[in-house]
Amino acid sequence: MQPVVDPQETAGSMTDRVCAIALRERAFLWWWLLMIPSAALSGLLVAAVFWLFYAGVGIWGIDWPVMWGLAILNYVWWIGIASGGTFISAMFFLVRVEWRTSINRIAESMTLFAAACAGIYPILHLGRPWFFYWLFPYPNTMTLWPQFRSPLFWDFCAIFAYVLSSILFWYLGAMPDMASMRDRATRRGQQIFYGVLAMGFRGTAREWRDFRAAYAVLAAIMAPMVCSVHSIVGLDFAGAQTTGWHSTEFPPFFVFGAVLSGFGMVLFLILPLRRLLRLESFITARHMEVLARLLLTSSLCLAYAYIMDAFNAFYTGDVSERIFFHDRISGVYAGVYWWTLFLNIVVPQLLWWRRLRLNQPLVWLVGLAVIVGMWLERYGIVVVSLHRTKLPSAWGNYAASFWDWATLAGTVGLFFTGMLLVVRLVPILSMFEMRELLANARRQG
Amino acid sequence: MSGAIPFTRRQWRSLDEIAGDADFLARAAQEFPALAEGLARPESRRRVLKLMAASLALAGLGGCDPGSPAGKLVPAVVAPPDIVAALPNFYAGADLATGYADGIIVEQVMGRPIKVEGNPNHPASLGATSIHGQATILDFYDPDRAAGISRPGPAGTRQPADLQDLLLALSLERARFADRHGAGLRILTGSVASPTLATQLDALLRQYPQAQWHQWDAISRDRARAGAMLAYGRAVETVPHPDAADVILAIDSDLLGGAPGHLRLAREFASRRNPARTRAMSRVYAVEPTPTLIGTAADHRFVAGPAALHAVMAGLAAGILRNETPSDGPPWLGPVIADLRAAHGRALVHVGPDQPAETHALAHALNEALGGRGSTVTVIEPVLHDAVEQAASLRTLVEDMQAGRVDALIILDGNPVFAGPADFAHGLARVRFSLAMTPMPDETGQAVTWSVPRTHPFETWSDARAFDGTATIIQPQALPLYGGLSPHEILALLAGPQPASPRDLVRQTWQPAMSGDFEQAWHDALAGGVVPNTAAARAADTLRPQAAQVMPPTPPAAVALLFRPDPNLLDGRYANNAWLQELPRPLTKLVWDNPLLIPPALAAQHQLVNGDVARLSAAGVHVEAPVWIAPGQAAECVVALLGYGRRIVGTVGAGTGFDFFPLRDAGPPGTLIIEKTGRHAALASTDHHNVLAADAGPRDIVRHGALADYLKDPRFLQERQPVETLYQSRPKLSAQAWGMSIDLNSCIGCNACVVACMAENNVPVVGKQQVLAEREMHWLRIDRYYEGPAEAPDSFFQPMLCMHCEEAPCETVCPVGATVHDHEGLNVQIYNRCIGTRFCSNNCPYKVRRFNFFAFAGEEHRPPISRNPDVTVRARGVMEKCTFCLQRIAEARIAADRDNRPIRDGEVVTACQAACPTRAFAFGNINDSASEVAKRKQSPLDYGLLTEEATHPRVSYEARIRNRNPGIAG
Repeated sequence: MQPVVDPQETAGSMTDRVCAIALRERAFLWWWLLMIPSAALSGLLVAAVFWLFYAGVGIWGIDWPVMWGLAILNYVWWIGIASGGTFISAMFFLVRVEWRTSINRIAESMTLFAAACAGIYPILHLGRPWFFYWLFPYPNTMTLWPQFRSPLFWDFCAIFAYVLSSILFWYLGAMPDMASMRDRATRRGQQIFYGVLAMGFRGTAREWRDFRAAYAVLAAIMAPMVCSVHSIVGLDFAGAQTTGWHSTEFPPFFVFGAVLSGFGMVLFLILPLRRLLRLESFITARHMEVLARLLLTSSLCLAYAYIMDAFNAFYTGDVSERIFFHDRISGVYAGVYWWTLFLNIVVPQLLWWRRLRLNQPLVWLVGLAVIVGMWLERYGIVVVSLHRTKLPSAWGNYAASFWDWATLAGTVGLFFTGMLLVVRLVPILSMFEMRELLANARRQG
Repeated sequence: MSGAIPFTRRQWRSLDEIAGDADFLARAAQEFPALAEGLARPESRRRVLKLMAASLALAGLGGCDPGSPAGKLVPAVVAPPDIVAALPNFYAGADLATGYADGIIVEQVMGRPIKVEGNPNHPASLGATSIHGQATILDFYDPDRAAGISRPGPAGTRQPADLQDLLLALSLERARFADRHGAGLRILTGSVASPTLATQLDALLRQYPQAQWHQWDAISRDRARAGAMLAYGRAVETVPHPDAADVILAIDSDLLGGAPGHLRLAREFASRRNPARTRAMSRVYAVEPTPTLIGTAADHRFVAGPAALHAVMAGLAAGILRNETPSDGPPWLGPVIADLRAAHGRALVHVGPDQPAETHALAHALNEALGGRGSTVTVIEPVLHDAVEQAASLRTLVEDMQAGRVDALIILDGNPVFAGPADFAHGLARVRFSLAMTPMPDETGQAVTWSVPRTHPFETWSDARAFDGTATIIQPQALPLYGGLSPHEILALLAGPQPASPRDLVRQTWQPAMSGDFEQAWHDALAGGVVPNTAAARAADTLRPQAAQVMPPTPPAAVALLFRPDPNLLDGRYANNAWLQELPRPLTKLVWDNPLLIPPALAAQHQLVNGDVARLSAAGVHVEAPVWIAPGQAAECVVALLGYGRRIVGTVGAGTGFDFFPLRDAGPPGTLIIEKTGRHAALASTDHHNVLAADAGPRDIVRHGALADYLKDPRFLQERQPVETLYQSRPKLSAQAWGMSIDLNSCIGCNACVVACMAENNVPVVGKQQVLAEREMHWLRIDRYYEGPAEAPDSFFQPMLCMHCEEAPCETVCPVGATVHDHEGLNVQIYNRCIGTRFCSNNCPYKVRRFNFFAFAGEEHRPPISRNPDVTVRARGVMEKCTFCLQRIAEARIAADRDNRPIRDGEVVTACQAACPTRAFAFGNINDSASEVAKRKQSPLDYGLLTEEATHPRVSYEARIRNRNPGIAG
């Protein structure tokens, strides 16, 4: 088996390299080349949101009967992507997988911004978004509680908890590294910046003891949360009686899909980053190999879910389910279904071959394929289900408007803006865990 | 609206009894400064005297003018008598959409007309209303009516003129008419069903013996009249009685939509259509080139183009009049003839107004031969005043205008520049003095020397006769909102300088007819909405023997272009009515547009799909319009709906549809050429999917079956096995449990309920673009399903509204509890609580919830005072849906609570139920076994929609039964 890190590297060399990235006086050229379009797209998001609040959700392509469109779709897509980071970071922390350490900071940052992108959609999509806080179970003058039976309330709680925990987990995990940065920073501004973020962490034995306990507890909370959040997102649909949604398989189905897109996005990010940041000796072929296998595994799980989905359409004996399924594979949106299958199931099968797993451009493209494929899958679930409902008189179509696409592009911009800021400001590897890893490797070696 | 209509309340009083007022002259001088000025100059004495006379004539109008400087404006500290805040007042009147009176009752709140209901006392209404009756409220408040009197300005523009100028001009004209005994004076009206107008016209023609009166309606019933002339030698009118008919043969018939008295005819028709509740089921055959309402409701519908119809008429004549076996004709004709003959005395043949006069004459002969006269059809004395052949009447007028023989033309009604022949406008330009009364700026108003706003029927006194002759006195419901004159006033001003007010004119008409205490009789006639004993007498005419010999001319074999009035806009006069524009046409579900309707075969032949723009050439006239494929239309027929494409119209109607009048008025089409242009136009239909999708059929949704199967087992359409569910506990019914039953046998798809719902519940109109975006807001829609081949499908209507499910899927998914159940089983929507997640709509199996994607209500072209004050106007971003007319329930509940009694059955009538001509809806307490709705739900035909969803809907349907003739295959 290949080593997780290049045996040449030591704790010192690693720390020097990682700190140098964030402490550079000037950003890389490529960083600016990526940051400018990302920031521009974020600006588009701001414009799209202002126009949305001014004019109303009618600017989107939603209609009767397709009352949910790109907003909900994008929300599910982003929250699915977010799962990858938590899965890698929390789940593999608990099972003490050593390769996790080199990529957990990137993966967690990805989670953070994907969850942020996801989190704004449920508010934007409301007809009257200024009343979003009515979802909070808070004592109010109307003496009304939210409706506890509604999957949207469960969803609100799940997302709220998930975003909060992700922020805490990411931040707590970065705290010792912030202290290293503070200690290494030479300029006053950087010292203050990292000093504030380190919150006085000095690396005493007692601090480390408390830190490890807190981190383990958070990881133990986060790992099952990946499953619960996506199960509940699945229940947003399965909890309804709508054709194409009302299925008991949705919770695991959504978990499978989420981790698939999560792994896809992790691969999509680390492959260029390791090159651009010269981290090849820390993020190695081993990582690619492992992530590619995970992606393949989740793709196979998803294939099972797709098969069950098709099976259920006939097994339920419900005429409208059958009509819907027939429409799904041969109707106006049939392309969505077939591309979903191709991108999410067929393309990842390439990863059975080790040679292909180690082909970086190919793996990167497979990662992109499942990201796009998962977006299409959600299009199929949200839009295609709603456009063929029980009563044929209420059949309709859906076409996303410019503002739908603008909002999607805007959140993509927001995501990359956030990732680029992390690359610029935060140690991109978890240095304190890497030091342990390298020390262990040295002891064993 | 609760229970009985309080007819005993004091009725509208005239405001125009100030002619004898002592200080009127002084006020007139103040109001008309030219008067004082003129008095100072002796040379203009003659002019001044005329002016004074005119002012006197307008005394009534002066009194009606709210802006009159002499009037005192005092806020109503003490409420006007009989107006109680929050309680409605009801006043009888009439709707004149068909040219005949349909009795209505106008609900007023604080003196504002808010809602139209049918008048149960009126023979043409029986409590029901048409779509036009419902929509007239919106016309009444239309801000585009505000344009005043206008005259031609420079370069084709119009410039405003004063009433004073008009009065002066009319006084000068009067002198001229008197000098010339009326030579050159022409008056153009539509059909005259108003006895007062008739009296005025007769008097005027006596006064100016050389004047001529022309009659013309854009959508005329000329052929029916000519058919009566052929059959009886006189323009007698016929009243069919579908309730007396065991067998009905409808030939391109408008019996259920558009025919005079169609509301009553629909009620009578439906009284024989439900085997579980009504009298023995009738059997209805429809033969028609393009689908009609009665064709959709028929047991057998046969598609027949003009040539096939000709053969059918020949066959009917042979088989019934001459007792021969028809030589040719379709295979079903024999069994139909046998069926008709077997039902001697109980058979009815009805022919629509688009069929030739000979067909009408034959139908009269057939009805007589089948013993229908006196039982299924009554021949009555003419109801319309002096009906003439309108096409000829207009032709004479146009020729005289072009020959310069017309000096002055007064157009009291209609829009001939738009809907008439092209040379009408040319002729009109040669007329020295032309005056048109227009409800709002229109093409004719643009082309005349005086355009005068005509008052809305809610704003003036008048009278009108119904299809059976019964007269209604029309009282004003409000002061004229935007000024205007009534035709009675204009006619009176033509006659003399000191005319009586319209109210006095109407009273003069009825004074001789009302015996006994006139004031009491007048009051009763106003309160009841009908003048008793005014129905036309039966005509004694016997059928002329030659009627049985006539044969309609053989139609050309080529593709036929048929013209039909748009069912909503009629001849175009409702083009500015947003409710009617956005009201889906019964079968195509199109809104805001009138594409050419083409049969599926022709579409395939020319490779046309819905929305493809085609170029239509006939008789040298070309029209480019998109096409729409109409299943069930005869393969050799193209149908153009008239009334769209208005060039000068208000804000709402501007730029909608295509004008096919030029094609119609170009004469016989000769060869019709259809070419594909390659362009495509967006057409808005509320049927948002391909209608011909094979799996879109009614399945279990519209249950239907044959009468024969029903007679074997009345419950044959019930589920064989009950739906199994995990959830055993259903909530117990409360003492008051609202529910509804809808009879699919009665529903004829006329849409009256849909407009009534919009009017009652402030349902916003969204416009064509938003309908294209699939965002229409109708709380109640009529679903239409096809079954069978596109060439001749069976069609089914199903009114669809909130089912008020006992286990409502919408309620569990709303995260903020904005939709909940109330204690009487209503599924209520709390607009203030709604944050717009729209999950409820996604989870509604019936898709009856509507969402305010934009601030639709705020963007409507109507003043706020026109809305129902009892119903919240919904904001942007909230969901809305049918409430079972919660405000009406609340009103009844308050009344019941006050009397400490339960709400009585029938005390709450929903808007849709009230409007329905066929009584398809029953609403009430399903937990009261004596209630109408509970009884209907016991019907063996009763079924719930999508009950496998375990929604337990409170709305159920009665399955449709068709009385098929076993002798006819298919």
